[in-house]
Amino acid sequence: MTRPPNENLPTIKLVVVGDGGVGKSAITIQFFQKLFVTDYDPTIEDSYLQHVEVDGQWCILDVLDTAGQEEFSAMREQYMRKGDGFLLVYSVTDKNSYENIVNFHTQILRVKDRDVYPMLLVANKVDLVHLRKVSEDQGRELAHKLGIPYIETSAKDPPLNIDATFHEVVRIIRTQPQAELEKRKKKKLQILSKCVLQ
Amino acid sequence: MLLPTNSTGVSFQQELYHSVTEKTKLFASKCVNRAVSPVKSKSRDSSPRSKFIFCACGASSEEKDDKKPTAKWYVKQPTWRLWGEEKTDGALYTVYLKKVRYHRPTKSVSSSSYSDSDDEISHLEWETVRVRFVKAGTLKKLVEALATDDGELETTYINVFLATYRSFSNPKEVLKLLLQRYEELAAPANGKPDNHEQHRKTLISALHVWLDSYPEDFKEPPNHTALKQLLQFCEEHLPATELEAKVRHRLDRYSREPRVDPILTPPPAFAMRTATTGGWKTYRLPDVPVRHFAEQLTRMDMELFKKLVPHQCLGAVWSRRDKSRSHEAATVLATVNQFNAVSFRVISSILVDPLLKVFERAQIITCWIDIAQELRVLKNFSSLKAIISGLQSNPIYRLQKTWQAVPKEKIELFDELARIFSEDNNQWAQRELLMREGTAKFADTVGENDKQLQKIFQKQNNHTANISFGTIPYLGTFLTDLTMIDTAIPDTISDGLINFDKRRKEFEVLAQIKLLQGAANAYQLPEDSMFDRWFDSILVLDDREAYQLTYQIEPSPNSNNTSKNRKKSSGHKKNDSIASNSSSNSSQFYCDIDSTPSSPHNSIDRKLSPSQMSNSSSSSSLPSLDVSLNSSHSGSANNKLQVPSNSTGTLSPNHSQKSSPDFYIIKVTYETDCVETDGIVLYKSIMLSNNERTPQVIRNAMLKLCLEGNPDSYTLAQVLPDKEMVLPPNANVYYAVNTAFNLNFILRPKKPEDADNSSGKNSKGKAKS
Repeated sequence: MTRPPNENLPTIKLVVVGDGGVGKSAITIQFFQKLFVTDYDPTIEDSYLQHVEVDGQWCILDVLDTAGQEEFSAMREQYMRKGDGFLLVYSVTDKNSYENIVNFHTQILRVKDRDVYPMLLVANKVDLVHLRKVSEDQGRELAHKLGIPYIETSAKDPPLNIDATFHEVVRIIRTQPQAELEKRKKKKLQILSKCVLQ
Repeated sequence: MLLPTNSTGVSFQQELYHSVTEKTKLFASKCVNRAVSPVKSKSRDSSPRSKFIFCACGASSEEKDDKKPTAKWYVKQPTWRLWGEEKTDGALYTVYLKKVRYHRPTKSVSSSSYSDSDDEISHLEWETVRVRFVKAGTLKKLVEALATDDGELETTYINVFLATYRSFSNPKEVLKLLLQRYEELAAPANGKPDNHEQHRKTLISALHVWLDSYPEDFKEPPNHTALKQLLQFCEEHLPATELEAKVRHRLDRYSREPRVDPILTPPPAFAMRTATTGGWKTYRLPDVPVRHFAEQLTRMDMELFKKLVPHQCLGAVWSRRDKSRSHEAATVLATVNQFNAVSFRVISSILVDPLLKVFERAQIITCWIDIAQELRVLKNFSSLKAIISGLQSNPIYRLQKTWQAVPKEKIELFDELARIFSEDNNQWAQRELLMREGTAKFADTVGENDKQLQKIFQKQNNHTANISFGTIPYLGTFLTDLTMIDTAIPDTISDGLINFDKRRKEFEVLAQIKLLQGAANAYQLPEDSMFDRWFDSILVLDDREAYQLTYQIEPSPNSNNTSKNRKKSSGHKKNDSIASNSSSNSSQFYCDIDSTPSSPHNSIDRKLSPSQMSNSSSSSSLPSLDVSLNSSHSGSANNKLQVPSNSTGTLSPNHSQKSSPDFYIIKVTYETDCVETDGIVLYKSIMLSNNERTPQVIRNAMLKLCLEGNPDSYTLAQVLPDKEMVLPPNANVYYAVNTAFNLNFILRPKKPEDADNSSGKNSKGKAKS
């Protein structure tokens, strides 16, 4: 692994959302903890900062995971506004968490006032095969409906797709620059207003 | 004789204080090193930092230990050195070498400065001793470790243990082991008797500490089993001792005490007295005393914060809790619900009257900013964040024209206050502020660019030199930290030993909460029932209503009004697969609620918002989006609707000629013959859209009133000055209502003979259970 270059790197803010108990925190911890296994401290300022190299380009990932605060529903939009990209996490063992994804999706688009935004649908806890309630097909179907990519993860040892998840969101953000977003927004609006007129 | 100093005399408070001051030092060093390196670099990068390095002095006096230290050497505190790990049967220890200063007994009191000047003291006064800390162990070993090897009480250890043991055990089990241990030590065949006596004394002290600091562990109504077990033990082993007296007294008190805690049950504020409905004065935003409002919000938060049971915040309890048994985290939920209640009130107070002029609405926003500023002065970060969140919620945030009418310096102030809760650098701003001001008397920390706050603090300091405030933290940050610790650190290590180091880590967070709880006693706040009434009376909008109103107030700039509205609602429908936003499918939604009768919440959160019942019973963490969140208290309509004669521009019917609204807001009262609600009127405000028929409106009303059952077993009637107009079973209510009068309605169960079945009777009043 090459060392991160010293010059100022772009910082990318990722926000992890999803119901309580879907294993958001495990995904975040798995991604960060491999560096500091011994002395974990959640309160220090760079706990959730990491240099990553994705497709040969370095950046700083700044991950916001408000696990434990899910029920402070009133503050959610406040932190959603800051995200450059989102992980929408549900647990394949919890149907409700799957059904709630659509609400997070709606809320993010509203806060961003966009019709598309960089997001990734994350089906977590796939290691719990015998407890699985949401199939891969259902997951993909939802992803298709929302127009976002889909990935299956497990934060248990050995982890599955954890790094891939974070890297994928970086790619999504990079391939959807602002201008592109604006364009798609307009296009979608036209489609929508057509629908309405019919 | 020289005595080594040790920590057994340190009181709990000091311990806490120490823990927090240590943190504060960390923060201070962080400020210094901020640009250079993260504070934890000592454990992450291996470059030595000379000021923390001590050479291994006094090695001769170390106990002989063949084992080479295995772990990497790093310095915990200047006088501590990690030696390594030691494993015994059932326990794993971390061993440190500690420089201990010997002091002469005569000087012991006066030498208060020695700890600060470690380095200057002659080596002749030092010795290095070996200190073991339990890193992990079986439960039995952990209980045994309450007394040190010498039989002394280990204060830090017992504090950590008692604050966290519920993550890996329960009171019953621990009590059993503790008593067993005592009996073991009391058994005559057990070697040196004098040493054991000290051990036994220590176990008794531990029981005292436990009883005093966690009385609720022994409550277990109705039988108080643990307490009875303890009493039996005392009678057998410790008759006529202080412990026995304490246990007996406690048992006596519990058996006489009423079961429920008044603070945590639905309070009288939940309802309003009929007697006062006529002529009470009420507050109306924006013309309210902002300082007083901030104080009242702080009073509400303070009551809940003092009641907060810190160990309910633990990851294993809060974030891993089984939602159907959420009473285990009831005090945390109560805090969360209050936070949301404040936010929702901010949102609805700004939106609820769509006919306000831009500058009038801007005045309400300004008023909330002013209240937020006072909360900052009061160091109430909970309601402060709630207001900021409300103002930053999308339905408010997007009102560009309105924000443009807010004075520039208020916007600046708002930005400064919002910066406190910036997520940047892992909530650094907020954490630092809490460290600096947590136990300070008053607020005085400003950022470099906080011009408005600077002015405010200057003014404050001139006026209130002698005032001291507590601090109410935003609990969410602690909850996340504890969730992360819980996720990151395993519960057990080395073949199933309970990982006690994890609990030490958790205790650092709990200790901060406890410290702030203690500081909260500094608040001296008056109680104002008029404020409570106002708070309860605010109509709380659900997500759909909030969006409907915000787009009515300021249509999206991209499209004209109607198409935008229609676009919005179609988008809504498309996405909301589980919830509904139209009358056609909200019956499905109603069923959803009905099918989860295991409302996990006990009375505690209903105080704050009865609606939360529906929110969290669906285990949805997105209640505001889908569930008709009706967090409205049983309060009546918005403050203006309470004073219909005064309605300068509300949704009241008088205006229907001017501009025919898309909906009305109606007040619904539930009529019951239940004795306990005698003399009390419960209002709920609901939105009435122009295509809603009677069963739908009844359903909406039932939801808001937290009633269960079949809508067909209720009737709805409009209260007119001289009579009641009962709505026909399938009327379009929007057109049926008499808009010449106030839109007051009564919902009542059909009489048994009217109804096909009598389910209506049985199913009422979940809110009162």
